Amino acid sequence: MIKQSLGSRILLYSALAVAALFAFFPIYWMLATSLRPNSEVFAFPPSLLPRTFTLEHYQNFIRNPQLLRYLGNSVLVASVTALASLLISTYAAYAFSKFRFTGRRSLMFLVLSAQMFPQALLLITLYLMFARLQLLDTYLVLVLSFTTFTLPLCIWMLKGYFDQIPNDLIEAAKVDGANQMQIIHRVLLPITRPALVATGLFAFMRGWNDFIYALTLVSKNKQTLPPGLVLTYVGEFQSQWADMMAASLLVSLPLVIAFVIFQRHIVSGLTAGAVKG
Amino acid sequence: MVTKQVRQIASAVLLLSMLAALLAGCAAPAAQTGGAAEAPAAAATTETASAADAAPAEFTFTGWAINEGASKETVQEFIDAYTAANNVTINEQAFPWSEMLNQLVLQINGGTAEGAAQLDIAWLNTLAATGKLKDLAAYTEGRGYTEAGLRSGQVDGVQYGLPWTTASIGLVANQQILDAAGVSELPTTIADFEAALEKIKAYDPEIIPYAGMTALNGLKDLIPWIWTFGGSVIDADGKVTLGDEGSVAALEWYKSLLDRGLIASEMDRATARQLFSQGKVAFYDDAVVAKGIVTTDTPIENLGDLIVPVPRPVLKEGDEPQSLLWGHLVVVFDGPNSDAAAKWAQHLTSDPETTITYFERMALPPTNEAALQSETVKNDVYMSAWAEKVTATARMNPFWPYVESARMESILAEQAQAYLLGGESDAAAAWQKAATQISELMQ
Repeated sequence: MIKQSLGSRILLYSALAVAALFAFFPIYWMLATSLRPNSEVFAFPPSLLPRTFTLEHYQNFIRNPQLLRYLGNSVLVASVTALASLLISTYAAYAFSKFRFTGRRSLMFLVLSAQMFPQALLLITLYLMFARLQLLDTYLVLVLSFTTFTLPLCIWMLKGYFDQIPNDLIEAAKVDGANQMQIIHRVLLPITRPALVATGLFAFMRGWNDFIYALTLVSKNKQTLPPGLVLTYVGEFQSQWADMMAASLLVSLPLVIAFVIFQRHIVSGLTAGAVKG
Repeated sequence: MVTKQVRQIASAVLLLSMLAALLAGCAAPAAQTGGAAEAPAAAATTETASAADAAPAEFTFTGWAINEGASKETVQEFIDAYTAANNVTINEQAFPWSEMLNQLVLQINGGTAEGAAQLDIAWLNTLAATGKLKDLAAYTEGRGYTEAGLRSGQVDGVQYGLPWTTASIGLVANQQILDAAGVSELPTTIADFEAALEKIKAYDPEIIPYAGMTALNGLKDLIPWIWTFGGSVIDADGKVTLGDEGSVAALEWYKSLLDRGLIASEMDRATARQLFSQGKVAFYDDAVVAKGIVTTDTPIENLGDLIVPVPRPVLKEGDEPQSLLWGHLVVVFDGPNSDAAAKWAQHLTSDPETTITYFERMALPPTNEAALQSETVKNDVYMSAWAEKVTATARMNPFWPYVESARMESILAEQAQAYLLGGESDAAAAWQKAATQISELMQ
């Protein structure tokens, strides 16, 4: 154990404080803006604390049925995306981790290569394909496109976790007469819960945060919050920043709460497989 | 053994699925159906059109006005009234203004663009080049559109767009600040303008004398200044003239304003509007709707009375003040029900009652004589002043005739900013780079 001098500790904490300031100041500014009346948002010189506090922007969000619809769409699409991604990636990751078959490595890199293309570029191709398949303007089209982008990373995250599980455990289950499905469902899944939580949250966030696909592939009534907020608050003649900040804070709450609840699982899930033991 | 067979079958199914998806993606475009919005419904209408003459014609109206706070309810009223009075169903599709062009191009390429769409006049050439826009000349007859409005909807003489609103981007000023700073008359020449800006700066250093655009997304506003200094950007033969005496002088002058603190860095339109509404800006460039925007949520009670349109100062007395033409069009995509969509576009843009209502609520000038001659429009002092002082000499953005106009504007802005921020030390060299890149795009 290296004992740190007082000076180096002060330096370390100062650096962390500066980093924290960079990370949290924008969030603080969002909060402060959301609590100011519109006339104060661009007041010059700016003040750290609102001179007049108001909750009108939060009330505007709650009273707007179209925004609540966007919220409902986001919950639906992100949840289904997370479930679909988990379902597919669990089996795929297990296969990549525990089976040895010809082309395994090539296939794994092929899966990962989907992450190497700019998503905006793939949008054009996917739009044309979904148009031919008559899938535009459905919730399915959003789930399909979001899942397409979450799967590669989900598979790799879970594969890292499965790699850590000793093959002896699987062999023991086989000796006890378990088939592959039983091994996955009854032996492996219960012990991979942290990785599943981390992976599921990652997929959920992808579905929750996407802007361009949700804007392009579906019409207004099926759009999710990111395009919904822009449609509602930003335009050629309008920039309702305070309303937008209030709405953004409100809609990020579910993710923040989920992170707080599953913090331990997320950290262990994300770091699984990072270090070979 | 069984596992191996299952794997083989699964692989075959996966392969077939991928092939099917690939073929679907590469297949020839289907007959134009709906856009992303309500596509299946529109497709169904297409298939049964011949069999059901009595069925309402169905098409999509795409625009940003459908969803923007100020115009949303008004446009919705227009749609509701029109569908109630006519045998049509209008499906609404909204995109943010900033995303509109990309989305429309994507829909055209995907074969899903149909119905009518709101356009910024800057985008017309890009869309006309796709060959999917309907010629609307027949729908202009007897509707009293102004010549200037009609011209803004034409490409090579073909009427692709019906003018919804036509005005200009010009200078506005806060009269109260000018009075307080001792600027007794609106500046008419560049020298007067500079003197006025200096007076304002001396009066209150916290006020930005001129919130000229310096952020990338607003630097196209340099074009009328280039014209003011005698440059042309693109000459009559289609040659890029950036780098000529006028354009270099304009850019050097603009940088001198920045260096002297008379304009501010990283200024975009939204920021300029907000600061103007706070009484922190004396002059800035905006469209005719400026008054309606800056008077929302302003702490200055009578700002609406204080805002004045200013003819852009000229280099020497007798020169013509410059401004950029600005406006909105409604275009119609070729395809089933395009006639019904064109009639809707015609109604929206030329029905006197509709266009006067739109003017009353949005302060967007109409484009038909009947509305322009109405008491409502004629009695609006601000609007009349704007039309006389600013729009009267407005010119089209020189990049608009080109399909790559948006990219060309970006190049101009990038090179101008490089010089303004010191990345490029020579204005002529900055413009020369821009000219080379823009010329390449033209080819």
